[in-house]
Amino acid sequence: MTKSLVDLHDVELAALAAAGGRREFGELVRRHGSAVRALLRRMGAQGAEADDVAQDAFLRAFEKCAEFRGEGTFAAWVKRIAARLYLKRKSKDARYVAEIGTEEIAPAVDTPGLVDLDEALKSLNETERLCVSLCHGAGLSHPEIAAAMNLPLGTVKSHVKRGLDKLRARLQPETGKTGPAQYGRSTHVG
Amino acid sequence: MSADEFDPYVERLFARTPHMADATLFAADLEAKLASGSRVRTLALTVAGLVGGAFAVRETLHLNVNLTAGDAPVAGQALGRGLGQVGASAQGAAQSALDQLGLANLSLGSMGGMQLFWLAAGAMIALAAAGVMKLSQEG
Repeated sequence: MTKSLVDLHDVELAALAAAGGRREFGELVRRHGSAVRALLRRMGAQGAEADDVAQDAFLRAFEKCAEFRGEGTFAAWVKRIAARLYLKRKSKDARYVAEIGTEEIAPAVDTPGLVDLDEALKSLNETERLCVSLCHGAGLSHPEIAAAMNLPLGTVKSHVKRGLDKLRARLQPETGKTGPAQYGRSTHVG
Repeated sequence: MSADEFDPYVERLFARTPHMADATLFAADLEAKLASGSRVRTLALTVAGLVGGAFAVRETLHLNVNLTAGDAPVAGQALGRGLGQVGASAQGAAQSALDQLGLANLSLGSMGGMQLFWLAAGAMIALAAAGVMKLSQEG
């Protein structure tokens, strides 16, 4: 008796997708599409742009599916592809270079304990946000981020540390109220 | 909360996937793109295979099958003449098709036998690859 798609593990689905199985790959997209799109939004991509990059990332993942051997999770693998694609797209934009290290967003005043990650990330400047998202969201190491962003390693570490300091100041885990946001149904506070 | 505690905490927050109302639509769009890309690839390979196959057929018909020698049986002579006529008409048809495609300068007769052989061989491989791909996608 054959298992239905929903019963198959990601590694099994990826192996079938590597053999050209579009339905199997579609199941992987259904499982992990939102996670990849959320990461791109957390990196600073706007809605439509995030979806475009996510689609490109999944299309590339389909082409390279045979390279996925299941060492990590499938979601993490696609997230890395998506993060690199987004960085590549941004590096083509001349504004990105000009904005590095220059943009500071004034901290907003929030009710303690009612801030979620997506809101907290808005208190970071663009580069801090990218570095923190790449490190803790896409799972890239500091040297990998430095290479991908063409920044010195020390600068990347500084951005990650400053970004985490800002996040720590905004997030109040003790209350246990931090939870996932729902895109399209704004949960803005403050 | 110390940095050692906060780092994994942030990672857990990143790992949480927010609900997206259009998640199904996103997946459907992507599947449609995959299907469309596959169709284009299959079509391109099929066209390449057909072109190569046409060259292969033309080359086969152009072979100097010498069945008209005096010691050949009568049926062999007839077959030889038939093959010769089919070969000539196929070459004319292929050349006129090339003319219509704006490739009038590409004279089939001017191509060497080895060139045509490799062209045909490449095309047959492409055709076989297209077939295998199609079968694997349908399987």
